[in-house]
Amino acid sequence: MMKKGSKAIIEYFRHITENTHEYAKSLQGKGQLLAGYMCTHVPEEILYAAGIIPVRILSSHVSQAMTRSYLHETYCSFSHDCAYQGLQHNYDYLDLLVMSSSCLHMSEAFNVWVRFAGFQQKSFLIPYPHIIQTKPAGGFLVESFGEFKQFIEKFAKKSITDDDLERAIKVYNQNRRLLKRLWEFLRRDNPPITGLEIATVTLASQVMDKQECNQMLEQLIQRLEAEPGKAPSGVRLMLTGGACDDLRIFDLIEHLNYSTNLIFIDSCTAARYFWFEMPEDRPDKLEAIAEGYIGRIPCPAKDNVPGTGEKKRFRFIQQFIEDFKPDGVVFFYQRFCSPQPHDIVALKPILNKLGIPSTELELDTTVPITRFGTQLEALVEIIERVAP
Amino acid sequence: MSKEKILAGLDAGHVNTKVIIMRGQEILGYCTVPTGFDVVAAAQTALNDASDNVGISHGELGGIVATGIFRDMTKVPPLNVTSTVPEYVADAKGALFLNKNSRTVIDIGGNIQKAIRYDQNGNLLDVNQNDKCADGLGIFYTTIAKAIGLSEQEMSELALKSTNNLFIAIQCAVSAESEAIDLMCQGRDIADVADAILRFIVERVADMCTSMSLTKEIVVAGGLAKSQALIKHLSSLMKQDVSALDIPEYVGAIGAVISYEGGK
Amino acid sequence: MTYILKTWDEFKNYQRTCYRNYVYASEGLRCMGSTWSVLAPLKGLGEDVYIIGGEPHAASTAGTFPEESREDISAAESAGLGFHSCSYLKLFVGEIVRDKIAIPDGTIKEGYPKPDLIWTTHLCTQHSKWYQEVSRRLGGIPMYAIDMIGGGNAEKDPKIVKYVCDQIEEGIRWLERVTGREFSDELFIKAARNEIKVLVLWGNICALNRHAPAPLDERRLIALFPPAMVDRTTDQTVRIYEALLKEVRYMVETGESVVPDQRFRIVYFGLAHTYGHPEIARILRDAGAEIVASVYTFGTTGNFRGFVNGNWSWEPLDPAWVDELDLSSRRDAISALAKIVLGWPTWQGVRSYWALEQMARAMVTEYKADGLLLAPSRSCETDFRNGYIAIQRIFKNEIPTVEYDTDQVDVRKMDLPGSQRKTELFVHLMEAHKKRVHDK
Repeated sequence: MMKKGSKAIIEYFRHITENTHEYAKSLQGKGQLLAGYMCTHVPEEILYAAGIIPVRILSSHVSQAMTRSYLHETYCSFSHDCAYQGLQHNYDYLDLLVMSSSCLHMSEAFNVWVRFAGFQQKSFLIPYPHIIQTKPAGGFLVESFGEFKQFIEKFAKKSITDDDLERAIKVYNQNRRLLKRLWEFLRRDNPPITGLEIATVTLASQVMDKQECNQMLEQLIQRLEAEPGKAPSGVRLMLTGGACDDLRIFDLIEHLNYSTNLIFIDSCTAARYFWFEMPEDRPDKLEAIAEGYIGRIPCPAKDNVPGTGEKKRFRFIQQFIEDFKPDGVVFFYQRFCSPQPHDIVALKPILNKLGIPSTELELDTTVPITRFGTQLEALVEIIERVAP
Repeated sequence: MSKEKILAGLDAGHVNTKVIIMRGQEILGYCTVPTGFDVVAAAQTALNDASDNVGISHGELGGIVATGIFRDMTKVPPLNVTSTVPEYVADAKGALFLNKNSRTVIDIGGNIQKAIRYDQNGNLLDVNQNDKCADGLGIFYTTIAKAIGLSEQEMSELALKSTNNLFIAIQCAVSAESEAIDLMCQGRDIADVADAILRFIVERVADMCTSMSLTKEIVVAGGLAKSQALIKHLSSLMKQDVSALDIPEYVGAIGAVISYEGGK
Repeated sequence: MTYILKTWDEFKNYQRTCYRNYVYASEGLRCMGSTWSVLAPLKGLGEDVYIIGGEPHAASTAGTFPEESREDISAAESAGLGFHSCSYLKLFVGEIVRDKIAIPDGTIKEGYPKPDLIWTTHLCTQHSKWYQEVSRRLGGIPMYAIDMIGGGNAEKDPKIVKYVCDQIEEGIRWLERVTGREFSDELFIKAARNEIKVLVLWGNICALNRHAPAPLDERRLIALFPPAMVDRTTDQTVRIYEALLKEVRYMVETGESVVPDQRFRIVYFGLAHTYGHPEIARILRDAGAEIVASVYTFGTTGNFRGFVNGNWSWEPLDPAWVDELDLSSRRDAISALAKIVLGWPTWQGVRSYWALEQMARAMVTEYKADGLLLAPSRSCETDFRNGYIAIQRIFKNEIPTVEYDTDQVDVRKMDLPGSQRKTELFVHLMEAHKKRVHDK
């Protein structure tokens, strides 16, 4: 299938992001069961161990005003879009819908699917800690995952063995390692791939069969290692924030009227999805999975270390800044998101201390190209002419 | 209701003040003036102009019944409004008068949109009304038409010529204006932008309507009902036929007259 | 004849005293946090523990000092908090930014009284982030947030109960470390029993509104539950709620009410919004329409039987049951507390759409509602904003139902004229419905 170079492989990933349903149905056509999931707190490994392919529910980027009589208009457009797709029956082909307790906006999107979009009999809500760092969170999660595993065994009519789980853990860990390697190309001054391209690949990975995804990623990385870098680097911009699967924003960042490079995206649709690993070869597989999910970069909605009130996510962000050396940071979050803006208020002083200029983009269903472009170019101006 | 009496229905709305003059079941004449900032002055002008159109003097009116969002402000001299009736009551009566088979009217006004369900006598069964982010859609339409240099009618006609699916998908009408302008700056076809604007309005109206049962026939009132593009989108989004009433902007005023002295 | 509550002043005085104690304490421990948490563990630290809770404080400040509240919110926004953030949160943080505090006795004091620790909870996605911001702004106040999980039937799920209990137990060890004080199980258990008693008593008081006429109206209800929010662990709170229960029972026996003219009974889903509430109430009052039941007012500091054989019941619990509770050990008390707070209708409804729907259905039936009025707050996530729109969709064909957007303190987020229009419409719909039923 892959004729030449990395371009063709990246194009394949892009095609998947633009034709998610077609891809998912092709898997179903091969006899695979499909489980849609919202947010990143769902233990995909358990589904995969049962032979079910997890498919992340992402935005369609079309107008979804028709959802405002199902969930409140002051809920983020990402949750509205996800709800809309359920109401439009775009995902009726899914065999199952799974959700872990998440932020209230996405939880309500899930409720809409269950209540009004016909998923009452084919859905499961995994109780998940709302503060991920509590001491008993691990034990709670293990129990929760245990109940989920039992449900999946009944649903798939097959037993999930420890070997099945270990295999799934390894496949997913491999996927995470490969994605990480891909993003680390952007640490170079002259990477052979752009941030937009990597973001595209990362997005596609969230709806793909991980084994196939791993094969493609290995090929891609192999080719990239052999390719020369692209044009000299411009201003290095890092994004940090909430769910954003709109590739047009990343495209805009890399095509401003200045030379700019997107060098990292810390969001749940990018790095936070994969920047961790499960412990392997542990006797208690569910415990290993729980440990992995607890140890990763926390979602702002769940990030509050008991005893200190620390936002653990900030440690990761500071590490990313150290590793990827951005010249500027772009905060981005869905309009009406509650937890993200709270983090930004506390992050900004840290960036100020580090001498890194920043700006904020408030996201909605569509991208106001002109307005966002002006804002981003203003940031680049500051970086190039004003910042020390 | 007296057949001899000439009655005026006054609908004091956010954007326009409408007056209709009727004798019995016969519509004698009507008039619309912009409300502006002086509700009483606008009402007076509308009454005078409507009376002139009909060839009667203000004093020959047997009664004036007011409805609309500013109805309570019209209860002052020299208007001498006889009585007032809530908009949703007036809309139901007026819609039934204009279409005896109707049982639901969707009123798309300047600031407020309503869906009203009623029985065969025009008695209220249920009402739904927009809020906050869906406020001001009619005003938005007027403003955006001006901003892109078109009349409201031109914009509606242009929308029918759209060939591409553009979306204005942002949250509220205020932000929607800047998004529409953003699309224009990107060089998008004006017909597509016009269609996107109309769809933006209709989506919020249709969405509101879906949270209650609607009984057929469904008719549309308010100034925007004159837009064929709007009616087309509304039917499509609601997945059922809707039709615009004749003289849709006068539905409330007609209903006010019908409601006089508890009339049917 | 309008009944005048005899216990009214005691409630107001208690609330004022609690705030004064916190603000003017020269010794002892100041504790801050969400009063949706279990409060009794704080009292295990001694008899000189003073509490300020974010939600009741913001509510009472907004009601007492509307201009100050606007300044506070504005200050918080200037300091970076977003427009869409919780207004209670912004008011609270705004006071810290402005370094002043306003309390319901009419005092505006310069110099914000710093807490020694923050003891809070987390359920909505802003809840504990609120106090992270407070801690940061005050130089890093130690804070402990309990993840309450929530959801329908939460108090019956052993996994959830254990999870909450383990956190409380760990939290108690943290309290000792942070304060350097030895935790007194005796004081804690006493406070725990009081806390549970008050919650059960409030449930009993609310349940009396099932009678016609309902003895209490919404205005009285939203003013009478704050003491239970502010500090429900003291002997005094138990006394005042026992006295109130006795008084309201008397009102039921004699057929009296604070608002005798009740033509329409309304179930209300919404926060007590300080702005616009009197105007809305007047429209309803003029039509003889009274809110007799409210999920937030009843279910935030009140407990009921909850789910029985799969259906929600607003039947109250027997206060005598609390006296018989075996709280012999620390863990027993923790477990009883965890279950009672997890049993709050509000904790259940926030994270469970089916629980919220069941509660609504039961409330409409048990309180014989003529209409359902939904008023989601545009900035509060815990206020079931997530569920009210769907509730409207479900109930609109069954009972006159109207929804209007509001906000608990931020006047900018409430379209008061629009809400008033919708309330008038609501009255009209109830009248039309009643007439139809009568004509049949």
